[in-house]
Amino acid sequence: MAEHNHTKPTTNSHQGAMWSYAVGFLLSLVFTLIPYYLVTQKILTGTTLLLVVLGFAIVQMFVQMFFFLHLGRGPKPFYNIVFFAGTAGMIILVVGASLIIMNNLYRNMAPMEVTLRLAQEENIAEVDGHSTGACQENKDNNANHMIMIKNDQANPGHLDAKRCDTLTFMSDDNTAYKLAFGTPDNSVSYGGMFDVSITPTRSKTITLNEAGDFSYYNQSDRSIIGHFTVKP
Amino acid sequence: MDHAPVRNDMNHEAEADDRTMFGFWIYIMTDLLMFAVLFAVFAVLRGSTNGGPSAADLFNPGLALVETLLLLASSFTVGIGMLAAWKRQKSQTLLWFGITFLLGLAFLCIELFEFSELIHDGHTMQSSAFLSAFFVLVGTHGMHIISGLLWMAITLVFVIKRGLNHSNVRKLALLSLFWHFLDIVWIFIFTMVYLMPFIGA
Repeated sequence: MAEHNHTKPTTNSHQGAMWSYAVGFLLSLVFTLIPYYLVTQKILTGTTLLLVVLGFAIVQMFVQMFFFLHLGRGPKPFYNIVFFAGTAGMIILVVGASLIIMNNLYRNMAPMEVTLRLAQEENIAEVDGHSTGACQENKDNNANHMIMIKNDQANPGHLDAKRCDTLTFMSDDNTAYKLAFGTPDNSVSYGGMFDVSITPTRSKTITLNEAGDFSYYNQSDRSIIGHFTVKP
Repeated sequence: MDHAPVRNDMNHEAEADDRTMFGFWIYIMTDLLMFAVLFAVFAVLRGSTNGGPSAADLFNPGLALVETLLLLASSFTVGIGMLAAWKRQKSQTLLWFGITFLLGLAFLCIELFEFSELIHDGHTMQSSAFLSAFFVLVGTHGMHIISGLLWMAITLVFVIKRGLNHSNVRKLALLSLFWHFLDIVWIFIFTMVYLMPFIGA
């Protein structure tokens, strides 16, 4: 009789050890603080950062499931894991499909002004006979202007351009700049853009699709660097 | 041979416990599905600000980090409390579950403070689809925390009155499962609601 009872009582499968909780807690702390630091210090940007931050959340979920919930350990974990896998599949379907479907609805069934703005962002000049204001790619007529920034000074300090020309910002002094349009007290968007980030190795080219007088300033020390005028 | 009936009883009890835990696990998975739908709603509506302020204008990631650390610490202390409960150490169990309760309460206070600040500044559920989705998602998690705290308080009273008997330990085990689950859901709220808006596209 005694031989049959060598396995521990099955409630033990839900128990863990002290070290398991401590390791799980430390790992979770690290996986919380790293994405927080990356986001607030803006070490990475854009889609890379988005994927990294989401990745840390998913890794932390598995850390907690393993070290706190002890999933996948102990003698009887099988049904729990199967049920979790099914739920994970349903979650991916619900969240993923909602995003895809709603994005499609937004792009294809929005009111005309929204459709025109979306088309302008994608550089489509005309939708159903309405002009979107987007610049067609027509390299023959459109000039490319360049602004070099060195020691917080732009060269040229004032630039005249035609609509649909392109404008390239470059850093000339081994410093990264984050430029914003308007004045430090009154930021405006240029063609839907609020700021332009450049580094010594990476310039940024924008299409001048909005006519008017614009100034731009350095976001870190809030000083106006230069102006440009776009003629229609 | 005279041990045998006792051992069989224990195995029956253990099997019943396993069934209870599995049933509760199924409940948690369905609850997770509900949160998934709320996450999907928030993801779809997060840009629909109705001309009002967006997430990056309203939220304070530092405050959310404090909430995350509180909940994370409480998920750790509930685990330690559970280890004590399995060993039938009553005072240790009460101590660690008590700390968990206080950490959960602190989390709840910060969340209510954040909500009241938003509402005081006129950013209510009625302001925009984005804020409706925000209040429903984070509020539903907050409601779970409130029920978890009530459950914890009641179970601790049972433990004080009747000791760590089999039924009370099982209640604590289910409660700790629930609490770990709330922590995991919060990690995604922290990431999606409080961090992602500050990532420039």
